Amino acid sequence: MLGKLIKHELRATSHTMLPIIGAMLLTAVMGNVCVRLANGHDLPAAVSLIVLLIMVLFFVGIFAIGLVTVYMMVRRFRDNLLRDEGYIMHTLPVSVHAQIWSKVLVSALWYALAAVTIVAAVVLLTFDAETVKVIGDLFKTLYDVFTQGEGHIAEIVVEFLAVLVLASVAMSLSFDAALSVGHAFAKHKMAASVAVYIGFLILGQIALSFAARLTVMTNFYGYLDAPYVDVYEFITYWRGICGAEAGLLVLEGAFCYGVTALFLKRRLNLE
Amino acid sequence: MPILECKGLCKSYGSVRALDGVDITIESGRIVGLLGPNGSGKTTLIKLANGLLVPSGGRILVNGLAPGVESKKIISYLPERSCLPEWMNAEQLMGFYGDFYADFDRSAAEGMLARLSIDVKTRLKHLSKGNREKVQLIMVMARKAGLYLLDEPIGGVDPAARDFILNTIISNYNPTASVIISTHLIADVERVLDDVIFINQGKIVLASPADQLREQQGKSVDEVFREVFRC
Repeated sequence: MLGKLIKHELRATSHTMLPIIGAMLLTAVMGNVCVRLANGHDLPAAVSLIVLLIMVLFFVGIFAIGLVTVYMMVRRFRDNLLRDEGYIMHTLPVSVHAQIWSKVLVSALWYALAAVTIVAAVVLLTFDAETVKVIGDLFKTLYDVFTQGEGHIAEIVVEFLAVLVLASVAMSLSFDAALSVGHAFAKHKMAASVAVYIGFLILGQIALSFAARLTVMTNFYGYLDAPYVDVYEFITYWRGICGAEAGLLVLEGAFCYGVTALFLKRRLNLE
Repeated sequence: MPILECKGLCKSYGSVRALDGVDITIESGRIVGLLGPNGSGKTTLIKLANGLLVPSGGRILVNGLAPGVESKKIISYLPERSCLPEWMNAEQLMGFYGDFYADFDRSAAEGMLARLSIDVKTRLKHLSKGNREKVQLIMVMARKAGLYLLDEPIGGVDPAARDFILNTIISNYNPTASVIISTHLIADVERVLDDVIFINQGKIVLASPADQLREQQGKSVDEVFREVFRC
């Protein structure tokens, strides 16, 4: 049933997310045309204004797409599981765990796609013969790094990407948990959700400060102030940080998952 | 085995007791009216059967099962409010119900939609409120479920729509199943009921076969209801 939930979740979210991604990429293409038009040409004032507006739109879009994606995923969880649609979703013959996982996995996918969209938009904006060469060189260098004896670099990149994925999952779960707790109240459900989320942030900071004392992080910050940096020592520290961060994210995710499951099972309060 | 069984069922919201020691046994193949004024506990009882709420005390069993994934496979539930995803159209909705319910009869749903001339390609948000409610009822009644839980199916609709809703229920429900209709509009549903349960302030006031009640009291169920719940 998880597969079916994911299928419908993708269908439900794609009808809002695909136009957003499409609009961002289209703005990037238009920005590219504008850059070419403006480059070395004396444009009429009206055209210059349009070019300026498109460029502003592009940069606002680059900064906004991440926030919009988070907002859409949070709204989807709230509307689909904690408001009227919840009467349909919570009476399906599926477990609460499948409901949560379908939301988390699809959210993580859209966060990843939003990140890819930002990179693609920058590439599209600057796309010309020189960019093609730079991108080609970059991929060649990456290929060399990954294949020619520098295996630890490939591992570092994979570990870093894994931490990013874990971070997006933990972030989704923290929003879901705050909404689930906040919507158990009879009134002012969104205000309560925000208050709970702030509470989670404070708890997280307290946990992080304790964890920092127990892990390599403290040494790492001291190490950065050292007069010289040994690259292998740096890599060791960096991997230690990634491992510690991954551990913290798993703990945060597990806590938020437990809270979400508990409140959806035992404290559901649909309007 | 009863299709729905409650023993000493209680549900409290803070200090408010919505259900207070409810004992009910409903056998298969019956159409039951769960009748009571607003705030009497009808919706709470239906939500408990659906697993949307957790009892504060006592127990509730659906076909011998505590509310959960297995019990939800045999319950077809009509909430009191329209809650379908409005970005969907009826065709997508049929795909959704078909994916999750093995007993969903798509051809029955298509037939009912065609009789109402509802275009299956039109998004639900572009349908009238009345048609959206009918689409929701059609999805519920197109299942060959073991227990239909219909919460206020005729509340807030005009008399012609009430006839459509009741006819849809009567002509589409699985005859071996039970149907529980929660309402306070007794006169409209009285003709279809096999059994009646009166509920007030979270307690069962009366439970009887409808014919027996009419015979004993010499009155319609609606008249008995008005007497019992006179303000």
